[in-house]
Amino acid sequence: MTNPQYIGGIRGFFARLGGIDRRWIFLAMGLSIAIPILLKLRFPEYPGPMAKATFAAVESVPEGSTVLLSFDYDPASAAELQPMANALVHHCASRNLKIVFMALWPLGKQQADRTIETVLKPLHPGYSEGTDYVQLGFQAGNEGVIKVMATNLSKQFPNDANGKPLGDIPLLKNAKDLGEFKLVASISAGYPGAKEWVQYGNGAMPDAFEVVSGSTGVQVGQLLPYYPKQMEGLLVAVKGAAEYEMLVEGKYPAANPELLGQGRVRMGPQLVAHLLMIALIVLGNIAMIAGRPRGGAR
Amino acid sequence: MMQRTIPIAILCLSGAIMVAAYFISSAQSWGETVTTWFNILAAVAFVLGAGNLIAMNLEKISSQRAGWGYAAITLVSFAFMLVVGLFKIGAVPNDKHPDIHFAGSYDSAASPFGWMYDFVMSPLTATMFALLAFYVASAAFRAFRAKNTESILLLGTAFIVLLAQTAAGMFLTGWIPEESAFAFLRLDKIKAGIIEHVQTAGMRAIMIGIALGIAAMSLRLILGIDRSYLSKN
Amino acid sequence: MNESMTNNADEKPPVRRRPNLLWFSLAVLGVSLCVLRVAVAAQDGDAASAEAARTLWQSIGVWVAAFMTLGIFSFLYKDNPLYKVCESMLIGVSAAYWMVSAFWSTLVPQLFAKLSPTLVKTYAMPSLTPSETPELDFMLALVPLVLGGMLLWRLAPKGQWISVWPIAMVIGVTAGLRLVSALESDFLAQISATMRPLVAFETTTDPAGVATRSFDFWGTVGGFVGVIGVLSVLSYFLFSVEHKGVVGKSARLGIWFLMITFGGAFGLTVMGRITLLAQRFEFLFKDWLGIG
Repeated sequence: MTNPQYIGGIRGFFARLGGIDRRWIFLAMGLSIAIPILLKLRFPEYPGPMAKATFAAVESVPEGSTVLLSFDYDPASAAELQPMANALVHHCASRNLKIVFMALWPLGKQQADRTIETVLKPLHPGYSEGTDYVQLGFQAGNEGVIKVMATNLSKQFPNDANGKPLGDIPLLKNAKDLGEFKLVASISAGYPGAKEWVQYGNGAMPDAFEVVSGSTGVQVGQLLPYYPKQMEGLLVAVKGAAEYEMLVEGKYPAANPELLGQGRVRMGPQLVAHLLMIALIVLGNIAMIAGRPRGGAR
Repeated sequence: MMQRTIPIAILCLSGAIMVAAYFISSAQSWGETVTTWFNILAAVAFVLGAGNLIAMNLEKISSQRAGWGYAAITLVSFAFMLVVGLFKIGAVPNDKHPDIHFAGSYDSAASPFGWMYDFVMSPLTATMFALLAFYVASAAFRAFRAKNTESILLLGTAFIVLLAQTAAGMFLTGWIPEESAFAFLRLDKIKAGIIEHVQTAGMRAIMIGIALGIAAMSLRLILGIDRSYLSKN
Repeated sequence: MNESMTNNADEKPPVRRRPNLLWFSLAVLGVSLCVLRVAVAAQDGDAASAEAARTLWQSIGVWVAAFMTLGIFSFLYKDNPLYKVCESMLIGVSAAYWMVSAFWSTLVPQLFAKLSPTLVKTYAMPSLTPSETPELDFMLALVPLVLGGMLLWRLAPKGQWISVWPIAMVIGVTAGLRLVSALESDFLAQISATMRPLVAFETTTDPAGVATRSFDFWGTVGGFVGVIGVLSVLSYFLFSVEHKGVVGKSARLGIWFLMITFGGAFGLTVMGRITLLAQRFEFLFKDWLGIG
């Protein structure tokens, strides 16, 4: 490729643009996100088929049934997944479903605790621990945890996160295995997560419960083949979270809407940042073409 | 025998039990027991990882290699978090048994361990991954080149998905009625078609190939054909 | 002779570097942000009362978190000691968290409670229910205790082979689990999901309640795309057959499907990364600075 310094005019400008210090790109990306946040840019969301399927899956669970929410993520993915978790908990509680929290990631237990403190208790103060919800906590073993739960719940979780034996907890004292739950929702950032719930949970008991998942954009490609036969609903990245929030809030308005609006808030900067990404790709290609010697030789 | 035969036998036996437990109901309890042992070993692996961290950083400090100060910071922060967590210092007492110190909750928001999680670990982890947004932009500018048919397909799809995910998609093509014959030109429809049909097909094929590879590898290990996990000595 | 190999006789005088103004500018910016933060809190009565309601430790925590966040972000300009300090703290704190979590959530209830239930019940888990078969539980718990000890032997300078036994067990269990699950969920189920009706029909119900079955054009297209896509991508991965003729054309089509797949994956990945960054900025602006 010709040295850009020796190309004149506009062509030379674009050719030299290809060698720009990457810190200017960092600055542009930072501003493209910071400014929309400060200006509080919001855009309407139109729920897609996957978010609607997830909503319908939770709606189809009979009232009073028990559901399992597995928090399989850490703070690194909380930006995308916490809005889904918040909306899912509010949705389940609004339908009077009994909720069992657990985590396959060590940090997932903390995320579940924070969700209980910031969403479940404020929005549903009538929900009491032991009768309406239980926090089982984290267990090491990845897919081994699901495998044991599929046949013997109390062997894997002899007690809840507070040390109380399962037999003393009204909600779970008669629970034998995963068949106790009508729905298993995995909010998943990677391994172990939704894929393992499909393979070892749904695989062991295909007709016992439905599986839905909220996933990061990075991981969702691995989960697409499971939808919709092995996984009835799939929330894709923060857009899926925003769409699901809209559906949930449309039917079950929250007393404090701010608790359920994080997904839509985080969609605001997406527009400017996505346009910047497209512009950067186009500029990069223009710089490549401008830097080629005339005559097309490479 | 101790270094080769017994480990091979352990692997073959444990693998066979897991497969048998799936098909034979009377072997299910053995499968649960072996999986419980596996889960305990997974927890011990965390302890091993921490031990390895201590050993590496201590070696770095003792040999005064470049950057040993940072190794000291690693060890100090590790030791602080470990002591606070293992000994449940400042833990919230258990409601029913407040007199039993180790029955308390060490990771609630009101405890020092919870504070470290909320204000040290959580922001550090989240910010470390947030850096990727900048690098994705830089990489897109420098590396994404439309040089041939394949790269044009990749970039074109990326553009469609990037636009359709945001309000730009609705702005550009949202005016096309959903019931019209041209509704397939809407960006959200195109994106849904790409994700639900094309991307799913591609990932499904990859998944089938990986599944065959996993099955082959697992059989090789359980039958003792593959012994790469054994130490060379 | 290469001019770069000249001796140091013609040593140039040391270049006097100008003071690095950037760090000074960043320090001024940091102080300005702090002043802005205090000014916003003082000006807005609601924010000031909310600030007062926060505990001291939470306030200190927000400042610590902001400091850590900016420290990590400083790497974008250049690698620097502040970033390295934050990175070192992250490694140490994460390792300790995982170890503490594994100890209290798994080792104590699953291992120690079986080995010494009375001790654990007295000092750690007062609600522990006595087992119906304590002797059997004890004997069974000895196995992971011994294997766990052997696994920790990996840290010893000699006798590394001792740790191969528990590693073999971990590999064996994983292989056994995955052999069945991979074939069931990722092979047979995926083939089943691919075998959809190629000609699709949809049923619509009019307001009168009459159901009508009609040809679904886009459903049919989707079905064809799905089957052709899976077969063509699989043909691409057939490396034991030369990619010529029909197989070659099929493999080429498979590559195109893969490129579209990766393009879609890239779009979704970008959204994910931007969301992570947006959340950090939200924290800095709203929780720390109180603006936006």
